[in-house]
Amino acid sequence: MSTDNGNTIKRRVFLQGASLVAAGLAFKPLRSQAAETEAQDFANGTRELVAYPQKRPLMRITARPPHLETPFSVFNESVLTPNDAFFVRYHLANIPASIDADNYQLQIKGLVDKPLALSLSELKALGKTVEVVAVNQCSGNSRGYGSPRVFGAQLGNGSVGNARWTGIPLKAVLEHAGVQAGAKQVTFRGLDHPVLPTTPEFVKALGIDLALSDEPMIAWAMNATDIPFLNGYPIKLIVPGYFGTYWVKHLSEIEVIDHTFEGYFMEKAYRVPDNDCQCVPPGTVPDKTRPIGKLKVRSFITSLQPGDKVNVNEPVTLKGFAFDGGHGIQSVEVSEDGGRHWQLAVLGESLGNYSFREWTLQWQPREKGKVGLQVRAKGGQGEQQPVKALWNPSIYVKNNIETTPVTVV
Amino acid sequence: MKRVFGQYKALLFAVCTLPIYAVASPLTINLPAETIVLRPSDLPGYVVAQQKCGICHSADYIEYQPPGFNQKQWTGLARKMKESYGAPLSESDVGLVGEYLAATYSGKPAVESKPAIKAIEVASNTVDKPAVVDVKTLLDQNACLGCHAIDRKVVGPAYHDVAMHYKGNAQAISQVIDHISHGGSGRWGEIPMPPFPGLQPAELKQLADFVLAQ
Repeated sequence: MSTDNGNTIKRRVFLQGASLVAAGLAFKPLRSQAAETEAQDFANGTRELVAYPQKRPLMRITARPPHLETPFSVFNESVLTPNDAFFVRYHLANIPASIDADNYQLQIKGLVDKPLALSLSELKALGKTVEVVAVNQCSGNSRGYGSPRVFGAQLGNGSVGNARWTGIPLKAVLEHAGVQAGAKQVTFRGLDHPVLPTTPEFVKALGIDLALSDEPMIAWAMNATDIPFLNGYPIKLIVPGYFGTYWVKHLSEIEVIDHTFEGYFMEKAYRVPDNDCQCVPPGTVPDKTRPIGKLKVRSFITSLQPGDKVNVNEPVTLKGFAFDGGHGIQSVEVSEDGGRHWQLAVLGESLGNYSFREWTLQWQPREKGKVGLQVRAKGGQGEQQPVKALWNPSIYVKNNIETTPVTVV
Repeated sequence: MKRVFGQYKALLFAVCTLPIYAVASPLTINLPAETIVLRPSDLPGYVVAQQKCGICHSADYIEYQPPGFNQKQWTGLARKMKESYGAPLSESDVGLVGEYLAATYSGKPAVESKPAIKAIEVASNTVDKPAVVDVKTLLDQNACLGCHAIDRKVVGPAYHDVAMHYKGNAQAISQVIDHISHGGSGRWGEIPMPPFPGLQPAELKQLADFVLAQ
């Protein structure tokens, strides 16, 4: 047992890889023979499907720390991503193995009039409960499809999810503590820590204006039930419109500071080229970078998977989703001729500007042969998806027009 | 895992539904075992990678990288682990790990392979045998102090606690040597210690003497 900001939790660092050898189980082959796998269309893209606590079998990116990706077929099920299929991403392997919500504590400290140590019930009583449907997307979602490839978590398109979050505005908590003059940023940390003391802690920072805006939320429910353990139980920071790196899990400490936070995961990692496209010529290094920020507009087809067959002259309902950084989707279009002509899709019900927006389109294939179905969306401020993928050294914010190759038979 | 499903807590807030009573017990998880291990190699960097990379992350981090990166790129990655993430790698470790990773992971994805234990034996037999050095160098070279300290628990137990545990035990030296050489888990908690098959008998004795003297 150790204490962490007053939270008494059991810790477990998972070192099964080393223990396989250590425990004399080393006759195990390199891969488990029986594991189900999911293939993806990039080199070395096949992943094991493994069931984790409170999760259905998901694509395992890494075992320690846990990093799980949603199989893409899940996104055809519903506009809200089911909790048991929602992707999981930790950075550091010293994660809690047990959390007692009854004794959980959230600290608010730094440049505030009244430092706070809130229990969950005190947090919930601080203000009006609010809800938002919002997309959480990994900064490196789709990295595996980038070119040239780069080191990092080799993600397909499933490190994204859309959920209804219930909680209290971050602003309400900060105002209760009383933010003092001179505040510049607010930092957030959770119960996940490094294994070694020499490894930087995972701490994220938001500018004070964003932190005091209406949108950021401290959530305790996801799709109307507890947040799954691996998604940040019992409370998680929600930053609608921003990449998932800011959505700190097992949120335990909030600190108001008078300077720009210089921790590794702000100052060195999760940075994009400091220009409009957040891109550089492939293979080159940007002169200047800035912390990653808002989601860019994206759209996908979910009703057909690459390689599917459809019958000629039989109408098919194409379905998928689109999202942007919080301005709402204006339109979605589909092309079957390499982008020469585009057909306008019908948008589904809006669950708010931060949500996935479902779209459908009736399509009647007229000719037999291979077709690359392309989909593109226009964001709420008119922003569009690039035809060709933009590139940066970490392959963040990838959002080019996607093509789903199918065969008309 | 069934226990976790059984522990679903009641909704504390739900629109249009009556609140159900919350279950007052901690939520506990047990994670599935790792299945990917480092690809065996007779290069010395394989042993270094087993001992040091695995302290902080599973081998799938490496296994799923794209093919085609060269030794300079892999060495750069090892250096990033040292410089950015504080991995206990010496400058020579960085080079050895880079060499091992480039030679082993730049081609095709892994195929089923011979048992890892075999490869460890091969590796330990082909590692250049260093001259016996002082204990501080041994501690540094093998990143012992990444996980242990003299007087407090870090990842593994304090050396002082180990020494106290074996006090009066006539088999202490041989047992500690065995545990350093072969690794293991369960004696000091669930976190396993990796094996150090590359250490010479004299080096093992030096380290065991040092630990037991604390």
